[in-house]
Amino acid sequence: MKKATLFVSALAVGALVLSGCAADDSSESTATTTTNNNSSSTTETAVETVSMLEAVQAAGTVRCGTRDALPGFAVLDESGEHVGFDSDFCRVIAAAVLGDASAVDMVDLETADRFTALQNGSIDVLVRNTTWTATRDGSEAATFLQPTFYDGQGMMVASDSGYSSINQMNGAVVCVAKGTTTEGNAALESSRLGLGWEVRAFDEVDLILEAFLAGQCDGWSSDVSQLTGLRSAYPDGAAALTILPEVFSKEPLGPAVLDGDTHWAQVVNWAILATIQAEEFGITSANVDSIRSSTTDVGILRFLGADVPTSDGSAVLDPGLGLPTDFAYQVVKQVGNYGEIFARHLSPLGLERGVNSLWTDGGLMYAPPYR
Amino acid sequence: MSSLPSAPAKVPIWRDVRVLRWLFQIAVLAVVGLIIYWIWGNYQTNIERSSVQTDLRFLDNPASFTIPGNDFDQSSPVRAAFVQGFLNTIQVALVGIFFATILGTIVGIARLSKNLVVKTIAAAYVEVIRNLPLLLLLTFMNLAVVLQTFPRIEDAWKPLDLFVISNRGLAIPWFEGSAGQLSLLVLAGIVLAVIVVRLERARADKVGRPSRALLLGTLALAIVPVVGWITLGYTWTLPFVDGRGTSGGLRLDPSFFALIVALVVYTSSHIAEIVRGSILAVPRGQGEAADALALSNSQKMRIIILPQAFRVAMPALGNQYLNLIKNSSLGATISYFELTQIAQITVGNGSPAVPAFTLTLLVYLAISLFTSLFVNYFNRRLALVER
Repeated sequence: MKKATLFVSALAVGALVLSGCAADDSSESTATTTTNNNSSSTTETAVETVSMLEAVQAAGTVRCGTRDALPGFAVLDESGEHVGFDSDFCRVIAAAVLGDASAVDMVDLETADRFTALQNGSIDVLVRNTTWTATRDGSEAATFLQPTFYDGQGMMVASDSGYSSINQMNGAVVCVAKGTTTEGNAALESSRLGLGWEVRAFDEVDLILEAFLAGQCDGWSSDVSQLTGLRSAYPDGAAALTILPEVFSKEPLGPAVLDGDTHWAQVVNWAILATIQAEEFGITSANVDSIRSSTTDVGILRFLGADVPTSDGSAVLDPGLGLPTDFAYQVVKQVGNYGEIFARHLSPLGLERGVNSLWTDGGLMYAPPYR
Repeated sequence: MSSLPSAPAKVPIWRDVRVLRWLFQIAVLAVVGLIIYWIWGNYQTNIERSSVQTDLRFLDNPASFTIPGNDFDQSSPVRAAFVQGFLNTIQVALVGIFFATILGTIVGIARLSKNLVVKTIAAAYVEVIRNLPLLLLLTFMNLAVVLQTFPRIEDAWKPLDLFVISNRGLAIPWFEGSAGQLSLLVLAGIVLAVIVVRLERARADKVGRPSRALLLGTLALAIVPVVGWITLGYTWTLPFVDGRGTSGGLRLDPSFFALIVALVVYTSSHIAEIVRGSILAVPRGQGEAADALALSNSQKMRIIILPQAFRVAMPALGNQYLNLIKNSSLGATISYFELTQIAQITVGNGSPAVPAFTLTLLVYLAISLFTSLFVNYFNRRLALVER
């Protein structure tokens, strides 16, 4: 009896001590979360407090949400490195913010998890073939920036299927990858044309490939860029597949950051825009050094963060974005201009520049003036 | 007086066991409460900061996707998609539980067989299947069996011209008419079957002869819908290949087929072990008494052993049924439109993730709790009434 009393009282005291600690802990951590929250909410009102940009610079790496299995956009090579169009834009951001294109932490995400990763702060920026839509801007807490690729949803069929237009695909089984707007677009097009497609949605591209090879699907619908990449890696050879001419959705793909941090959004935006501006100026990774040392074009000098002669000596343009003044130079030098990145990863797949040409060539790629 | 043991002094309050117990419980409760309060506060501030939608308004938005094998169209609300996903989950659960129980019982009995071949095959089945991950089994069923073994729709198998089997689904002859009337007739059949079984049992008890309740009940169950259907003047339709799919009859989705087979095979291997253990738990004397009464082996199993074994097995079986229901969410990987698949697709098409998945979790929880309740009720009914 006595022993039991002792034991229970010891337990009780222990629990009280523990609960005291736990209560302290929790009040402390609530305190820290509120201060965090304060600091980030002040960024919305006053721009001098830089949240994400400061955090990234302090960490020394950009955590970039990406993927590992989309040929042309982001795949792993033999040494485990991410290679592709999207991966290079992750590097563009790192080169601009940190001056080092290799200072990227590539975070592979499933399609369905990508916005959650952005919302819970496990990535700084999402560059993962993500379509800019109103709902995502409004309800997913994402802010979309300069599109890096203007895409559209299309349909791929077996070359020997006899289809030459989606209008002939009456009652067809159409397979798509889950986690994005693809099912919705296919369903809309099917009802618009009265074709009665059965849309099947799979978790993985590999599972669609198996279903397609076995003849369970008549059509494979996705963004044309993805279809081109998938066709180039098709086991029976690219000629066995045909991408039909119709494109039935607008898919502007671009980077996204978390809502509420305008400063970080501007920084990422200008990193992307620098690649477009560089192409317009004709600056490539090969000639950037010679242009920088020899040109007299004030616009180019400003853009590359070089000394611009003024009435009283010289000055370097700092637009006040919070980026190093030579960020554009670092981007072009270490990664390349838009045209180079496109030629490196997307041209080999057989993708044309098309609407992704510069505005001077009749495309949509247009950067606001850097001044 | 001093030699007498003194009356126990009043225990001081800080050593009073009852007080300390209360204090201890209050302290634990306070810690748990603080932790929950802290998590909830963090969640709220983060959600507010990132302007994520947390209510259920999205349920009224148009779903914008379609569900195969269903007249659900993309202008129906998300709510309707969730209902259809729920029904599909229930459908898999009911069909899966039915076949898993039958197959599991057969294999469980076979494991105790005196025939060495039967015994070995059953043991190998249990040991192999039980030790495989279900996702692997499901992927195998989909890739190797449905996609590769079944022919393309162009060369579909048409046994007796009654079925159309291809890797786009299994089409079977089906009644033509409204589903509502059919389910009413089935319901009538069930009612009749229950009455017939009760009457037959009572008669058998009175006369003292073995009852044929199972046989007569099954007949009653089958006859009412068929006769009703014919007298109501309805017919049935045969499936046929129509373009890229099939028309007529009832088409079972290929992913439904793969999912059911995988779930049944997997769960039955677990049920078999439960059945085997439960049979062994029935006292030997029961079997010996049945032998002494000169009951046949099948009678002994059916009338004496199995009813007592199932009394033992019921709680463990209930667990397996819960597992099967929860495992049906793996159907999402092979494009079966059950609850998880609907949740994933609707999130991909613009519904907010946190409320959509929370809703899905709650629905699974409700299904599981309801199943537990049902199993417990059954268990109480089966339990021996001891005095």
